[in-house]
Amino acid sequence: MVMPTDSDDESATTNGTLVDVRNLKKYFPVREGILLRAQAQNKAVDDVSFTIMPGETLGLVGESGCGKSTLGKCVVRLYDPTEGEIHFEGNDIARLKPRGLKATRRHIQMIFQDPVESLNSRHTVGEIIEEPLKIHKMGTAEERKARVTQLLETVGLPARSVTRYPFEFSGGQRQRIGIARALALNPKLIVCDEPVSALDVSIQSQVLNLMNDLQRDLGLAYLFIAHDLAVVKHISDRIAIMYLGRIVEIGDGDEVYEKQRHPYTKALIDAIPVPDPRHTAKMKPLEGDVPSPINPPSGCAFHPRCTFAKDICKTDRPELREMASTGVSHRVACHFDL
Amino acid sequence: MAKVFELNPLTQKKLNRFRAIHRGYYSFLLLIAFLIISTITRFFIGSDALMVKYEGETYFPVMGNYYSGKTFGEDYAFEAKYRDLQIKFREADEGNFIIMPFVPFNAFENDAVDGVYKPDAPSFAKRHLLGTDTTGRDIFARLIFGTRIALIFALAFTVSVYAIGVSIGCAMGYFGGVFDLIFQRLIEIWSNIPFLYMVIIIFSVIPSTFSTSSRIMILLGVLVLFSWTSMTYYMRTATYKEKERDYTAAAKLIGASHARIIFKHILPNTLSTLVTFAPFTVVAAITSITALDFLGFGLPAPTPSLGELLKQGTATLRTAPWIVSSAFGTLVIILTLVTFIGEAVRESFDPKKFTIYQ
Repeated sequence: MVMPTDSDDESATTNGTLVDVRNLKKYFPVREGILLRAQAQNKAVDDVSFTIMPGETLGLVGESGCGKSTLGKCVVRLYDPTEGEIHFEGNDIARLKPRGLKATRRHIQMIFQDPVESLNSRHTVGEIIEEPLKIHKMGTAEERKARVTQLLETVGLPARSVTRYPFEFSGGQRQRIGIARALALNPKLIVCDEPVSALDVSIQSQVLNLMNDLQRDLGLAYLFIAHDLAVVKHISDRIAIMYLGRIVEIGDGDEVYEKQRHPYTKALIDAIPVPDPRHTAKMKPLEGDVPSPINPPSGCAFHPRCTFAKDICKTDRPELREMASTGVSHRVACHFDL
Repeated sequence: MAKVFELNPLTQKKLNRFRAIHRGYYSFLLLIAFLIISTITRFFIGSDALMVKYEGETYFPVMGNYYSGKTFGEDYAFEAKYRDLQIKFREADEGNFIIMPFVPFNAFENDAVDGVYKPDAPSFAKRHLLGTDTTGRDIFARLIFGTRIALIFALAFTVSVYAIGVSIGCAMGYFGGVFDLIFQRLIEIWSNIPFLYMVIIIFSVIPSTFSTSSRIMILLGVLVLFSWTSMTYYMRTATYKEKERDYTAAAKLIGASHARIIFKHILPNTLSTLVTFAPFTVVAAITSITALDFLGFGLPAPTPSLGELLKQGTATLRTAPWIVSSAFGTLVIILTLVTFIGEAVRESFDPKKFTIYQ
């Protein structure tokens, strides 16, 4: 989907896509010296395109620092993209003026990684969940109260929580408060930035199940960002794998998980622990660190760590290409059919 | 509506801790009590009689009514001299009497002993509890009024410094970028202007026709103008930190305006640390106003002030040691009380004890 000329993607905007991200780039200038001139660019997100359908979950997986959170923050316009377009229901989020942005943002909310950070500890739970309703002037005071109670019930918290403060709750409960706030405006898309990675494993599945239920009942679409492929597999319809600011593999969830084609995805999946003591890894684990996005490797950015790397990988950057063996879409950015 | 008075349990906890630190809490109560009582000092200290009983009529000059000397059978038309009348009535013994405040002198009148303006030693009989200063003014009255002016001045100073420093510092941190850069440089230049010279220059330019109260306001303005900068440093850093936290991002996403994010989200989370500076700002203000008075560039004469008494006292150290000792003692007591409060506030707001990051 990197190619803007790809006719498949062009038509996708007209057949009911909720979000259509095209050639999105987010570069952070690296400022140095007395005058703080940009000496280099940190290419956190470098030419990424994908679509999300209504009610669909796109899982976005990658190592720390691969740009997946930056991508998520661009989609909700917490960051202004350097280049590219983010179409949401006919509006380009990347270029909206403040007034239009406020109206469009109603439909795009976010769940954050750390609920301790994302809930203002000075406000009660009631105030936190009511705030979006107040800002968008929805309903009378009584109606808003009723809506808050209803939201609390939806996320499985008792109604008496309204007068309490976030720090009086456990991690999982706090994340539920964050979800209730995100739901308050009836959004169509929720960007989930590692929503369960700060939680205990036992709580993770509860929150994931809640999110699955909400999707089924409310028809939400999720952009689910995580570094844990197993978690993403559990919740996603489609999966995208990111490496160094680019999508290296994207496709149907089962397809990517079962029949991965990119060496990086293979390594990621191989790194998932298997609950079987006799199991031995097929591939040796990834070596080395993620290269710097300020000065990424030439050609295929993954080639310094890739066991299959040939000369062409050092010179030519592979574009995403269709590699589906079955009917579903499966695109991989690799020179070889692995 | 009762919700307005409901405090965040964290704030409640801090207040409870403050109350538990007795030294600071009682210092706080003492100063508050002093400020409240000082609004009715005219009943204890002053030259107006509390009550005059004259020829069957009762008068209350202390309530602010003006009575000329003729009202009480004197031959002058200006305001009655109640102290002299009291003695006269007592000697005449015709059923007329006057009740004076406990200290029957105000802070501005010269009670010349034997017709000469000179310092008079403390004497309970003359009701000069701490003696008189070099021009025969009652030191006790001047100390009480001087302290009240210093405290009110310091509080006004603190409020203004916080208002300016917090808003500019917060704006610098929140908007960042070029705005921040320019303001930082401006503040660096501004804070390098020598403050004392500016005070001297400004006061030599102000015409003497200005009233005492407007001169005090000008002095307050000059002090504030040269003191707000230090507050911006704390506020700017705190705002930078809070701005990057996810709850601010969440507020942006639900469509909150800049004003809402600043006032509802960032400020409440930063102010608790800034509150701890407030008592020390008051200390600094009292110290600097006293120092300026001592140098003669402070509150305009004849405003009673600690610094002015200290100045007199050092000049007459051998002949009238009661001047300097009472002024010095008062200064020490006030500064100690405010510092105790500051310590207690700092201790009870210590983030280590209440942090959510264990």
